[in-house]
Amino acid sequence: MKKIIASFLSIAMLMGLLCGCGAGGQALTEEEKNTIVIWHDKEEAVAEALLAELKKSVPDVDVRLEHKSNLTEALKMVGNDPKAAPDLYFFAHDKIGVYAEMGILTPITELIAKEELENAYVGMTLDAATYKGEIYQLPVYFETLLFMYNRLYMAKERVPATTEELYTYMSEKTHGGHYGFVEQHSTAYYSAGWIHGFGGYIMDAEGDVGLNKPETIEALMYHKKFVELMPGESEYSTVNTLFQEGKAHATIGGPWLVSASRAAGMDLGIAPMPVIDETGLPISPYMGVQGVQVLKYAAENKREAVVKVLNGLMQPEVGVSLAKVSGCAPAVEACYEKEEVTSDDVVMAMRQTAENTIPMPNRPEMDIMWTVAADMLVNINMSGQDVEESCKAAQKSAEDLIRKMQ
Amino acid sequence: MAKRFKKAMTVLFAFTMMLFAFMPMHVKAEEERCVVYVNPPKDWSDPFLWAWDEEGNNAFASWPGGEMEIDSANEGWYYIWIPSWADHMIVSAGEGVQTGELIKEDGNVWVTIADMENAELSNEALTEGEIPAYVEKFKIHVSLPESWESPAFTWGEPKDGEDAGKALRMGEDGWYTGNVPVAAGSIMIIGSAEGQKTEAIAIDPAEVWITVAEDGSFDFTYNDPNAIEAPDISVSVSVPKDWETPCLWAWSAPDGTNVFTSWPGEAFAEGEDGWLTLQVPGWINSIIINANEGNVQTTDISVETGKDVWIVVSGPEEYEVSYEAVQIQETGEEAKETVAQEEAEGADEAATEAPMQAEEEVKSGTNAGVIAVIVIICIIIVGLAVFFAKKKKK
Repeated sequence: MKKIIASFLSIAMLMGLLCGCGAGGQALTEEEKNTIVIWHDKEEAVAEALLAELKKSVPDVDVRLEHKSNLTEALKMVGNDPKAAPDLYFFAHDKIGVYAEMGILTPITELIAKEELENAYVGMTLDAATYKGEIYQLPVYFETLLFMYNRLYMAKERVPATTEELYTYMSEKTHGGHYGFVEQHSTAYYSAGWIHGFGGYIMDAEGDVGLNKPETIEALMYHKKFVELMPGESEYSTVNTLFQEGKAHATIGGPWLVSASRAAGMDLGIAPMPVIDETGLPISPYMGVQGVQVLKYAAENKREAVVKVLNGLMQPEVGVSLAKVSGCAPAVEACYEKEEVTSDDVVMAMRQTAENTIPMPNRPEMDIMWTVAADMLVNINMSGQDVEESCKAAQKSAEDLIRKMQ
Repeated sequence: MAKRFKKAMTVLFAFTMMLFAFMPMHVKAEEERCVVYVNPPKDWSDPFLWAWDEEGNNAFASWPGGEMEIDSANEGWYYIWIPSWADHMIVSAGEGVQTGELIKEDGNVWVTIADMENAELSNEALTEGEIPAYVEKFKIHVSLPESWESPAFTWGEPKDGEDAGKALRMGEDGWYTGNVPVAAGSIMIIGSAEGQKTEAIAIDPAEVWITVAEDGSFDFTYNDPNAIEAPDISVSVSVPKDWETPCLWAWSAPDGTNVFTSWPGEAFAEGEDGWLTLQVPGWINSIIINANEGNVQTTDISVETGKDVWIVVSGPEEYEVSYEAVQIQETGEEAKETVAQEEAEGADEAATEAPMQAEEEVKSGTNAGVIAVIVIICIIIVGLAVFFAKKKKK
């Protein structure tokens, strides 16, 4: 009988072991080691340009791009499963903290020397790619908000150098259904530029919530007089349509607005962000960096191919090509020696604006902050609630939610 | 014969208008242009040009098209600049007075019109001197008191002796119209009597409606005040039981004009048959239903302009919109179905873009099930074996 029991137990253990062996446990074939799957959520033109450049720079690696419109959620679900997860993913830097905390990312410095990265990239992009002291993203291109104006309405000499000049212009021109200036005033991503210009912040790189900081409160009090000269509704489509249809003279918008405005026949001007008279600092928006992150399994099991792909992505030609199709600015410093980049006024404006931008926080808690800050802005700008009280209530709400999250 | 011709022309005119109504207007920045000169019969005053291409792209937004300018250097000739791609034309001068379809070749063209049926086109210049440069213009509409006769307008800095300005034309809608160069910056409206003059009106170079009062004061808007105003509509809603004091937030997209001044908008009143109801202007096309002092809300809901609407809300993203009164309960059931269907449709994208992920999840779910079954079988077998072993010992 003992023999029977021993046999059963051996079979059961063997089956258990076999079941436990997935792709993660099996040795990869040479072909699998040389295949790199990259998830992305970009438009087709960007993906095509990326693939074309990688085919040129790393012809011996089989690079496969897979489009995922719900990339962030998909990665949360399968990031730990080598069978289902990609090897790399191409996305904005602001989710790095989430995946780094999940333990699914490998620091880029384990694959490319830190010094090499520091020599190659625009400094701010590496700051954005850094979470808790480790660089988790290889930057490709970056984007910032820009001050844009319709040259048909706004003469060059009236382009505001300061926020008070902007306010005077808005007061003069906002009449009869036309607006001197519009922006998404109650969206945290847009308001952040004003808050930073006063030295405040929504959340800093260390995860400190700054909604009740005196500088943040002062910024939102000052910003309110501008909001009063804008339409009450300020969501994305309203603001962009007002600008593109010639009902607003100027706006602060992303590079994605440039091609659409020009296609609509607008003589578009781009100018530096106005300097806030009260502080002497310009409106300082967030910067978003798009780049690739490497998953741990790929770094450990496909190291050679991954390093090749990363080196390929560091070539200036890749940055230039992707920046052209995305309308954003290349992250590799050497790209700014190329005429096709220096002759692009939008890219160069972004490069200039980037000097005063703040990288979007890449901490997981930022997911909470977007919602809390948006509610606070609605209370202040649309419901007419007291600025200080709203900021303090939002601070408390954010801290409570972050505590629960931890 | 004349009567039959007039009828034919009326039919042709109506057909032309109908045809143009379905054609898109083609706008392209900094496109190539050519000049069209027209020498119409002497009894044709104030000619307009309508132009389009084979693909049905229109050079102007609406009939009768662009107003032609007098060329003061060439008596009897009018001119207008049009996009080079527009090679089909009709010249008109008031209701029922128009040429047939004229097809021009590339480049500038001079058209001599004998009558409505006879016109000759020439690519060789029939005027003397230089062709006036192209000046981009925008349209102004002006409403004036009756006492302001023979009104005109001037633009830019008024110069001595130029007060007469350019005549404004009375349109069928009771508004005077004129075309102003985009570089004007400001305009001034002038009447024929002493002192009938506005101050310089600073306006954007965009179509504008200006209302002038007897004393010369004025106001203006860039939104057509003659646009048909939709009457008020009623918004009726049914919300989940835990949604207290539901409010309506409503606006017009994309211009962003809000009905209420501050969030969360206005509270609904008790209506008939269990509905909560609120009257709002008929021009709204977007709403949010919220409750609990704005702490719970639906996503943006698009509604048709000018129609009463009934909405059953089951959750922030679950709702059913209807333009006919329905029983709340029935609608609730339907709402669930509709929303479920919409969610399924909405999930299509996610499903399409993550088929591999879904497959993997199914696969991993199957693996887990197999493992669990094997483990249970093993435990049972081991248990049975131990049981029989003990029994044998006994």
